[in-house]
Amino acid sequence: MIEIKKLTKKYGDRTVLNIESLRVEKGETVVIVGPNGSGKSTLLKILSGTLTKTSGEIISHGDIYYLPQQCIPFRKTVRKNILFSVKNDSERIKRTDEILSLLSLSDFADRSAAGLSGGECQRLALGRVLVNDGDFLFLDEPSSAADIEGTEIIEKAITEYKRRTGCGILMTTHSPGQAKRLADRIIILHNGEIAEEGSPDELLASPKSLWGKRFIDFWKFVK
Amino acid sequence: MLMNMDRELLQIIGVTLRMSFFSTLISCLVGMPLGVVMAKSTFKGKRTIRKIIGTFMGLPPVVAGLIVYLLFTRYGPFGSLGLLFTVEIMVIAQCMLIIPVVINLTESILSVNVKGLTETAKGLNFSKSKTAFLLLTENRFSLMSVVLTAFGRSIAEVGAVSLVGGNIQWKTRVMTTAIMLETNKGNFTFALALGIVLLLISLAVNILASVMTKEDIK
Repeated sequence: MIEIKKLTKKYGDRTVLNIESLRVEKGETVVIVGPNGSGKSTLLKILSGTLTKTSGEIISHGDIYYLPQQCIPFRKTVRKNILFSVKNDSERIKRTDEILSLLSLSDFADRSAAGLSGGECQRLALGRVLVNDGDFLFLDEPSSAADIEGTEIIEKAITEYKRRTGCGILMTTHSPGQAKRLADRIIILHNGEIAEEGSPDELLASPKSLWGKRFIDFWKFVK
Repeated sequence: MLMNMDRELLQIIGVTLRMSFFSTLISCLVGMPLGVVMAKSTFKGKRTIRKIIGTFMGLPPVVAGLIVYLLFTRYGPFGSLGLLFTVEIMVIAQCMLIIPVVINLTESILSVNVKGLTETAKGLNFSKSKTAFLLLTENRFSLMSVVLTAFGRSIAEVGAVSLVGGNIQWKTRVMTTAIMLETNKGNFTFALALGIVLLLISLAVNILASVMTKEDIK
């Protein structure tokens, strides 16, 4: 379980994040949507420990893995990128092969990761996370650079991982479709605060906040 | 003289390479981890430390030599060690000059991508040592050029080593101090032979450095 109470992040006088309370249970997928600068990435960075909070309380239990928005391939082959990221155990080679296959990376497993396209690199970065068994995953726009096929591969991999491990997922996206497909609960973040939250069906039926309405309008438009 | 490999010339080359090897090794072993800390961490006084490192980068070799001389002279705090006029003290004096350079260059190289790599490593639950290993291996080509720069600085240095080493024949004479001495004596053939060897080693170091840099761009 991950629980947040009165979490804030300030840069000088400017408050970029102000979350009264948020809870993510194991086995649940919570998708955060919101405009640029709404605090989505800041929230994940604070929860993963890569950014310090200004105030508030974070209670977390279990192994947490975090996928940052920026994909940096290690100066190794694709396979070695995954192998380097997995915790030492006897099944690491088998697990690496499974992840390569799950993310359709097997064909260039022995190529340098530096030559991957943006979408392929994003799949690799996700693979480095999914090769480990975590209790919670924090994914910051995991398919922002992927094409339709790549997005489908990524979404299937996340779903399969969740089914296998029963982990909790907190992720951000700009895609209403992706939020609808993956989320058990959607949170709309605006100006660092939770504007609205609910199940995809609830939000679709009756959005309450202005940003909730805009989000649904956009989703209907894209659909 | 070069073709016949004069015994003294060989001995001078040997001492020079031994001194430069250990100066480079120790400077990198001390300076690189400190450079990682400087690039990776934020702490109070970091700017001041950076300024001190910058100042020490411009430390004149004779001043470094003088400080080490005073520390290790018979009546100095470390006089009992009896290291004055040995290759060991030449290495110590050189480390004083090279470590700040290594720290600064390592920090500059790592600052470029340390944030993204650290974030990725943290996200993957890497230990601190695994993260440091990742940072060093990901920048191995650039860091190799730091090693070569340190080696280049060491092999070309004259002021500090001449002060603390004493330029003693068959003991602490290195190529640069020998060139100075032989030139003063008017023995230009020997000075020139040493100069050619020094240049050849510098050339080899530079070729290696450019190969490394090229590799890095790829």
